[in-house]
Amino acid sequence: MTASGSNWKQRERRRLALRYVGAVIVTALFLFPIYWLFMISFKTPAEIFASPPVWYAESIQFANYAVLFKDGDAVTVWNSLVVAGLSTVLAMGIGTIAAYSIARFKTGGDHFAIWVISQRMIPPIVIVFPVFLLYVWLGKLGPAWIDSYHGLIILYTAFNLPYVIWMMRGYIEDIPIELEESALVDGLTRLQVLWKVVFPMARAGLFATAVFTFMFAWNDFIFALVLTRTEVTTFPVQVTHYFGGQSNFWAKIAAMSALGTVPIFIAVALLQRYLVRGISLGAVKG
Amino acid sequence: MARLTLTDLHKYYGDTHAVKGVSLDIPEGEFAVLVGPSGCGKSTLLRSIAGLEPIDRGTIAIDGDDVTDMRPRDRNIAMVFQNYALYPYMSVFENIAFGLRARKFDESEVRRRVADAAEMLDIAPLLQRLPRQLSGGQRQRVAIGRAIVRDARLFLFDEPLSNLDAKLRDEMRAEIKRLHQDLGKTMIYVTHDQVEAMTLADRIVLLRDGVIEQQGAPLDLFERPKTRFVAGFLGSPSMNFIPARLENGGNDLAVRVDSHSLPLPAARVESLKNHHGRDVLLGVRPEHLTRAREGEVRAGLATLPVTFDLIQPTGSRTYGTFKLAGTEVTAELQAHDAEQPGERLDLHVDMNRAVLIDPTNEQVL
Amino acid sequence: MATISQPATAGGQVIGDRWFKYWLIWPAVLIMLLIGLFPIIYTLMVSFQNINMMEEDTSFSGLMNYARLFGDARLWWALLHTLIFTAVALPLELILGLAMAYLFLDRMPGRQIFVALLVLPVMISPIVAGATWRLLFDNRFGPINQILGWITGEPQAVLWLVNPNLVYPAIFLAEIWQWTPFMFLLLLAGLSNVDQSQLEAAELDGASWWRTFWKIVLPAIRPVLLIALLIRGLDLFRLFDVVWALTKGGPGTMTETISIYAYVQGFQQFETSYTAAIAIMIIILLSVVVILALRRMEIAR
Repeated sequence: MTASGSNWKQRERRRLALRYVGAVIVTALFLFPIYWLFMISFKTPAEIFASPPVWYAESIQFANYAVLFKDGDAVTVWNSLVVAGLSTVLAMGIGTIAAYSIARFKTGGDHFAIWVISQRMIPPIVIVFPVFLLYVWLGKLGPAWIDSYHGLIILYTAFNLPYVIWMMRGYIEDIPIELEESALVDGLTRLQVLWKVVFPMARAGLFATAVFTFMFAWNDFIFALVLTRTEVTTFPVQVTHYFGGQSNFWAKIAAMSALGTVPIFIAVALLQRYLVRGISLGAVKG
Repeated sequence: MARLTLTDLHKYYGDTHAVKGVSLDIPEGEFAVLVGPSGCGKSTLLRSIAGLEPIDRGTIAIDGDDVTDMRPRDRNIAMVFQNYALYPYMSVFENIAFGLRARKFDESEVRRRVADAAEMLDIAPLLQRLPRQLSGGQRQRVAIGRAIVRDARLFLFDEPLSNLDAKLRDEMRAEIKRLHQDLGKTMIYVTHDQVEAMTLADRIVLLRDGVIEQQGAPLDLFERPKTRFVAGFLGSPSMNFIPARLENGGNDLAVRVDSHSLPLPAARVESLKNHHGRDVLLGVRPEHLTRAREGEVRAGLATLPVTFDLIQPTGSRTYGTFKLAGTEVTAELQAHDAEQPGERLDLHVDMNRAVLIDPTNEQVL
Repeated sequence: MATISQPATAGGQVIGDRWFKYWLIWPAVLIMLLIGLFPIIYTLMVSFQNINMMEEDTSFSGLMNYARLFGDARLWWALLHTLIFTAVALPLELILGLAMAYLFLDRMPGRQIFVALLVLPVMISPIVAGATWRLLFDNRFGPINQILGWITGEPQAVLWLVNPNLVYPAIFLAEIWQWTPFMFLLLLAGLSNVDQSQLEAAELDGASWWRTFWKIVLPAIRPVLLIALLIRGLDLFRLFDVVWALTKGGPGTMTETISIYAYVQGFQQFETSYTAAIAIMIIILLSVVVILALRRMEIAR
């Protein structure tokens, strides 16, 4: 039997092999910085300050992390968690019902929807500047707003609302309206429809949007930089506190950054199918 | 124009053996239809001919040239895709001209050929439109225009009518047949629709599980199926298969179904008498189960009394369904032959046209 | 049997519906006004006053602060730096992302895993990214100089973040590392959605790879491409975190972006009213770009 057609198959196989080589190289290049960060977080001081640098830690040890907890710096990760978590819950709750209103009743029309998403495009510095002045003023009237949980939480909620509304509007529009109509015919109230039909159907979208929302707040630097002092410092701000001329606190930078990055790994693992839709503001459905 | 020769073609998708040794010879100018249920390998075969899928074993030759390892563009083949694959950002003119321009045809030649093709397909007024501004039928025409504008050696059609509604499909089917008559090119057409296959083909190639089950002229396959599968696939409504037994009826052979004995015509006795005493499947098309009329006597008509439990009028015909030997059987009646379920009627079974099938290997006896 | 407990009106609408949609939306609107409307109005107001570290003059001072914008060379440099970052990083990210998308476009076992790994830089905090690159660029303990040493054959101690000639390439590298995967992901999705049979038709039509790319692929991925460019363009325009983590705008003010400059003016120099004027300028610049872009792209479907 002659093996005709095998030339072609062979070409394909060679091409696939080459693509694999390319894929591995590209992935290695992109992962190297992350590897370096984690690896430093496991190094002993002697290993960190070896010149030329060593490419792997002799043994994995957690002393650098222990220091963060001992010095109390790790509380900044807790602050990030509280602020990002609570603002996510708020933004998701308020944003999803608003999104439902826009998706199903066209509330406010197209212009309103565009106004919502354009909020997302304002540079954070422009937002945080007047909010800072507002918080200072509010602080003179009563309890402090600068360097407080509620101050940050409300700002993150507000900043993430347009994203939540925009994304959830898309997910809700994907639900066949007949389901809701059938539920209405079956005698459910509008609120019951929302609770028993819309939310369960939009479950995956709700979840994906919540993870992204959490991440935006978690990763934010500039709002926290302006609005925190010492009490509710978030971890990105804490990381920058370790920078200093020639005497960087290398171990702390690496360990704190690594602490702040582990949740991201989990998020990416959870999001998979919704990554593209999430980062493209729903424009590309992956 | 070209002759297409496939020799022992094999194709695997991972562990799935999608095409299992297909050999086929399609002479110049023939209209061949590859037909079969989904997953039978017909589209894979077509795409292999186009060069869009590599094959694992075997050869493909056009006019004796081995094109097995050739890239699609070098094979000089034109293809009409199921979804038409029109380039959405180009006008109809640019769509049709794309292949010519890619092959560096002279611009005046391009214009002349596109105009000719548009004329032929009745789409001349649409040339400046974009595909999305066209109806389904018009898109179909543009797709065909894009194929015929080049002097391709071979024309391939991949279920081109499946996205059209029933009426348009009938129209376009006729149009494609006319096109073949006018151009006289070798055409390979893939469909799962047996009506399309019957009406269009010079030759039907019926595929099943990656193998050619039977090939030949449409009526040849229809009247002389070699297997139960072929018999059941062609024809609508499809053939009834009734468990039965071949036995003696006097000095002739008869088919016994339940308590009824249906004698075979003398002409068929000789070829079947070796199978005497065997269990068989009696294959009868609905149109060969008709109402027995007074005084109608013809060799090979056997009488069968039945009680309908379902009547489906379609206008010109009425389909009556009844139970026989544990299966549902459909008969094709005249419009007013039966009107209510529960009606009793004598049917004539045309035993000249009935096929007998060996239930163990599903081959026609 | 389902019973309809709600009295239905003629239009098929249930009584109470008229207000239902507003009940759902008002909390969101209220909160969004905090960032959508309040800042602009308040900033506008402050920009016409004269508030700074020394005095709190809330009387109307006209266009004083706006006039000052024109004479502020550091501001225009910051704007220029921002534009340089955008103009260099955006096309590079696009081209690299496109090349990567092509690398991963065809079926390949394990592709999901590669994609999941490649997306990590996009998802991590820009501050963490900046910190990481700080570690990598370190002149003595970073691997970049070490690798450079291997290539050149002698030890290198390049001061990446201090040397005026190298600080831009260094920031570009960090920026492109973090955001090329973003382009990659979107373009991969875009390319995957290109109708396969159109490409096959083009192949049968005898079109070359380039011709197919320009005439068929590019028009097909254009919407995705524009969205990606818009999102990244706006991100780059407000670039802050990575630069802050790497150089804080230095050496001197060499890498100061418009966001960093506004931060410095507002929160280090306490030039409150002047910062407000800068913010208004940024909003006006952006609005023009965004409105034009949105009109063209119909992001709102």
